[in-house]
Amino acid sequence: MNEQPPSHRDLFIGMLQVALSAFGGGLSAWSQRIVVEQRGWLSNEEFLTGLTVARLFPGPNQINMAVYIGTAFHGLSGALVAMAGMLLVPFTLLMLLGVAYFSFHTLPAVDRVLAGVVAAAAGMALSMGFKILDQYWKDPVALLLAAATFVAMEFFHVRLVPVVLIAGPLAMAWYWPRSAKSQGQP
Amino acid sequence: MSLSSLLTTAMATVVSATASVSATVPDPAMVPASVTAAASAAASTQCTPTSLTDLGHLLQVLGTFLGLSLFSLGGGNTLLSEYQHISVHQFCWLSPSQFADLYALAEAAPGPSSMLVGLLGLGAAWPEGPWWALLSGYGAELAILLPSTLVMVAACLSWNRLRHSPWRIAFERGLGPITLGILFEVGIKILHTADTNAAGVMVSLVVCVLMLRSRISPLWFMAFAGVLGGLGVINR
Repeated sequence: MNEQPPSHRDLFIGMLQVALSAFGGGLSAWSQRIVVEQRGWLSNEEFLTGLTVARLFPGPNQINMAVYIGTAFHGLSGALVAMAGMLLVPFTLLMLLGVAYFSFHTLPAVDRVLAGVVAAAAGMALSMGFKILDQYWKDPVALLLAAATFVAMEFFHVRLVPVVLIAGPLAMAWYWPRSAKSQGQP
Repeated sequence: MSLSSLLTTAMATVVSATASVSATVPDPAMVPASVTAAASAAASTQCTPTSLTDLGHLLQVLGTFLGLSLFSLGGGNTLLSEYQHISVHQFCWLSPSQFADLYALAEAAPGPSSMLVGLLGLGAAWPEGPWWALLSGYGAELAILLPSTLVMVAACLSWNRLRHSPWRIAFERGLGPITLGILFEVGIKILHTADTNAAGVMVSLVVCVLMLRSRISPLWFMAFAGVLGGLGVINR
């Protein structure tokens, strides 16, 4: 598509640019603007495929997206460089914020403000489930699986790892594409 | 208990048994007295942390997060209640309100909110002084990202074959509903951990609705709620 693939250095700087541009939020949109529109590293279609892969596999979506972009050009080393570019500045800032927190959180004024901020953050956490509820609304089996998972964790205190290891294979068996064979035939 | 956490606990026990006792005592010049006192007070009301050397703590942090990495479904938020359990109840790194504070900090700060793991690592080693804590924070973040990154690289390289594989389709469709159930549990757990007064819970519910119904940046909600907290309307 374009003349020369980005070097490791280009990948690092590009991802750094994405991370810095997205300080107000909207990381995914910035990523698309810089990687597809400004630098022309990926076509729009390749970018959207990347989002699909990033959401599907374990790991934070935005980091996985950086890994996808890095891997596309330089395999594992490209992935690590892109990830470093994406994380370095925001993570270092967060660590400094953390040091400030542990140094000052016992001050009454700081604690009072934080109590308010925590209430808002709890609301954000509460909204995460509702956000993806729509996609499953018409699938009773999905709702049943979700409810069983919720009940096991909330009321029977089953931990995440056993829940995923037991419910995961069961759900995969139920959703195994049965018509795959007939569709696959020409 | 996962295999990796068993291993690290065993390793940590060996390390703490062989290392000199002086290593466990934090350098008083580096740690403000008030913080150490507060940290130990917070810990004593929750559970008693296993006594570890600084290296033992670091290995425990690394092992814990390496083992959890591949379970970060749905963008990583599914791990939040596991993080809460590990850092508050299992290893006593943090008090419940400290965990809630760190979650809020990670949500408010720019960048992916999964960087919370770095803050947990920081908190875990804070009694050993800020430099160990920073090392632990960076280590924790690397540990949570490394396994999932390796899987992601493998997935990218073989995506053309994976794309139409029945395994891929079943994985995507099957784990979606489980993620949904986990996220609801996570929401309740964070709300419970925040443990604010009635006004605070009202704010949480209003923020939840606004997150779903409006496109206002969540930073505004946090700023507004922070002011309410400063004025004493929200407390815990």
